[in-house]
Amino acid sequence: MRLRWARGRGTIETTTGPRASEWLGLDDAGNPIARVIHLEGPVQTEHGVFRAIALDQEAKLIRLLPLPPADGDWLAVIGGRVVGRAAAPLAAVRRAEAAL
Amino acid sequence: MSGTPLDKIRNIGITAHIDAGKTTTTERILYYTGVSHKIGEVHDGNTTTDYMDQERERGITITSAAVTCEWKNHRINIIDTPGHIDFNIEVNRSLRVLDGAVFIIEGVAGVQPQSETNWRLADRYNVPRVIFINKLDRTGADFYRAFATLKEKLDIVALPLQLPIGIEDQFVGVIDLVEMKAIVWEGGELGAKFHDEAIPADLLEKAKEHRQILLDTALAVDDAGMEEYFDKGDVSVETLKRAIKTGTISGAFRPVLCGTAFKNKGVQPLLDAVLDYLPSPVDVPGIKVAAEEGEEEGDHQRRIKADPKAPFAGLAFKIINDKYGTLTFVRVYAGTLKSGDSVLNTTKGHKERIGRMFQMHADKRAEIKEVIAGDIAAFVGLKDTGTGDTLAAAEDPVILERMAFPVPVIDISVEPRTKEAVEKMTLALQKLAGEDPSLRLRTDQETGQTILSGMGELHLEIIIDRLKREYGVEANIGAPQVAYRETISRTHTETYTHKKQSGGSGQYAEVKIIFEPLDRNEGVVFENKVVGGAVPKEYIPAVEKGIKVQADTGVLAGFPTVDFKYTLVDGKYHDVDSSALAFEIAAKACFREGMKKANPIILEPIMDVEITTPQDHVGDVVGDLNRRRGMIQNQESSGSTIIVRAQVPLKEMFGYISNLRSMTKGRASFTMQFHHYDPVPRNIADEIMAKSA
Ligand SMILES: Nc1nc2c(ncn2[C@@H]2O[C@H](COP(=O)(O)OP(=O)(O)OP(=O)(O)O)[C@@H](O)[C@H]2O)c(=O)[nH]1
Ligand SMILES: [Mg+2]
Repeated sequence: MRLRWARGRGTIETTTGPRASEWLGLDDAGNPIARVIHLEGPVQTEHGVFRAIALDQEAKLIRLLPLPPADGDWLAVIGGRVVGRAAAPLAAVRRAEAAL
Repeated sequence: MSGTPLDKIRNIGITAHIDAGKTTTTERILYYTGVSHKIGEVHDGNTTTDYMDQERERGITITSAAVTCEWKNHRINIIDTPGHIDFNIEVNRSLRVLDGAVFIIEGVAGVQPQSETNWRLADRYNVPRVIFINKLDRTGADFYRAFATLKEKLDIVALPLQLPIGIEDQFVGVIDLVEMKAIVWEGGELGAKFHDEAIPADLLEKAKEHRQILLDTALAVDDAGMEEYFDKGDVSVETLKRAIKTGTISGAFRPVLCGTAFKNKGVQPLLDAVLDYLPSPVDVPGIKVAAEEGEEEGDHQRRIKADPKAPFAGLAFKIINDKYGTLTFVRVYAGTLKSGDSVLNTTKGHKERIGRMFQMHADKRAEIKEVIAGDIAAFVGLKDTGTGDTLAAAEDPVILERMAFPVPVIDISVEPRTKEAVEKMTLALQKLAGEDPSLRLRTDQETGQTILSGMGELHLEIIIDRLKREYGVEANIGAPQVAYRETISRTHTETYTHKKQSGGSGQYAEVKIIFEPLDRNEGVVFENKVVGGAVPKEYIPAVEKGIKVQADTGVLAGFPTVDFKYTLVDGKYHDVDSSALAFEIAAKACFREGMKKANPIILEPIMDVEITTPQDHVGDVVGDLNRRRGMIQNQESSGSTIIVRAQVPLKEMFGYISNLRSMTKGRASFTMQFHHYDPVPRNIADEIMAKSA
């Protein structure tokens, strides 16, 4: 199913400036039903060091196990469930759409 | 055309493994851009950039040559570099001053050892690159396999912008994945004629698949492009090119093109890619200023932007002596300089006046009146500026990030055929060493012999040949020797008194020096800790000079002493009898006595050796390496071929090629390059000392 995609919240710093770290897949009514998010890490928290983390809808840290493959730091997420991983956000978008 | 706006200038290098086709590609570029009216061939000895006699006779590039050409309203300064490891300094200094590089790999062999080394060098200087897979016309060429070696050997995100149409003698053109079209060369007119076509039906699926990869990878660095894609289901060529340029400059991925330079296919799109994706002087973050004393190198360092109005700053990266005098090549990073201006050599701390200025076209030149930020020019009339020195305006006397030089590992002694030529030879060698930082010259303090140190046998052979052809000095040379080094392994404090006070004007000097070992590659460090004028200030340079001269001839076997620190802590002097000379003599003797008691050791160069051999000979090759004190690092098979990597002392590698050939019936080959210095085993140290005694 094809969705309309728009920039979500959050940015990642790259050598060429800030870049969106989240893309939201919107249905016809404009509700986000899928997300593509960039994995961060390692991040140090009071609960320990997390090698691979992502933000959930409430922008809380969620820890991901097992660790993603080295070239898969974009996650396709539907309803809090990871449905695919890819090296590029556009490829993760296709994973999300394929899973719907 | 010095009026070219900065964003329309490209300073690029062409670099690769030996024989990958750099010179052949450069030759096509010069032809298609109208600089030359016929194509020269390496095997005919008539290319533009291989202009030295030795290059033309041997069909290899020895010295990097700069040429300038125009393509679609842009000016491209190109430096063609050599592939042979003996001339690696040329790649090193070129990459250091260029904004981008075309990296050529072979369509048959893929990434070869020297491509790997040069790739790492380019990494070190953060040079954006496009990759050209060449020789697709050759039997056995395979674009996809060569492409796979990019990831395997270099661990990079390689991104094809083209796919080949046909291969070997059926190779006719390329699919352009950016514009989704085929480019086909018509044959004849030396490849100047080509046209666009629809993508052949049998390749359409493959092309679509690769275009999706291209979009995924390129748009990952361009959010606006992502949005355009979501809006329209595709992006414009302009957007895609912008994204590819961003990723190329940041190094997020490396675009890959392909063709055959020799059969004249693929070169024009490569030139387009240079304009589209490699940075102009204003697209790069600017050159780093060297870290100040006691400061760590890092990202906080100030960067100098390419601004023609800023105070002048430039880096001397190449020096050539020819019949007109000394030419100093300078990459200008900031400001504008006119002939007749004065600048500071901030590395050495003196003033230089700029005489005439030239733009270089291999061995031809065109005089210019001024040079601006972003450009490269050759200056005449500099007194004392060496490779790697910074030239800067007095109002902002910066020193730019320094250059790293390769370590020479082979020594030969040279002696002129006639006594009268001694002085002429020394002068000529000094000039040659001034051009080439990977060549070192020293005089053995005990034997008085002149010793040349270089990168390999080929390097030294070429130098001796140039000595004869360019300077008319015929010299006898000794057999190539390993360039051993000496160092110490414990700290020792030595006091030495030099005294000659029997009548007449006497000599008196006493020095107390601490000699300490340093880690490999730390060089020789001096510290002065004298308090209360026990050694008067004016004599300190004499102490330094004495140690410096004496350190060239180590105490064990006469090899240069490296990696130690000496601290002058105390001394004595005499009002009348002390002199600079007396302190120099005292320092020399203190070194000779002191180093002997500091557990001196001999170091030998250890080489990284890579041998490519057919499977059936692996056993022999490995067994032989073990006998040569080699440490096998790993073995890797690709088809029926095995690549063996080992670290082997250079001493054991003399004459290896003929041995390897007879062992494998001529089917194996090898490359080697310097890796590090290690202490030699006891028995070999004894052998070396016995020989030198
Ligand atoms: N078949 C074929 N041969 C090529 C091609 N490009 C270069 N060659 C040949 O390969 C040999 C080496 O080419 P050069 O251009 O000298 O290579 P290079 O990279 O400049 O070599 P060095 O400067 O010595 O490192 C020459 O004989 C060329 O004619 C090509 O595309 N196809
Ligand atoms: Mg060449």
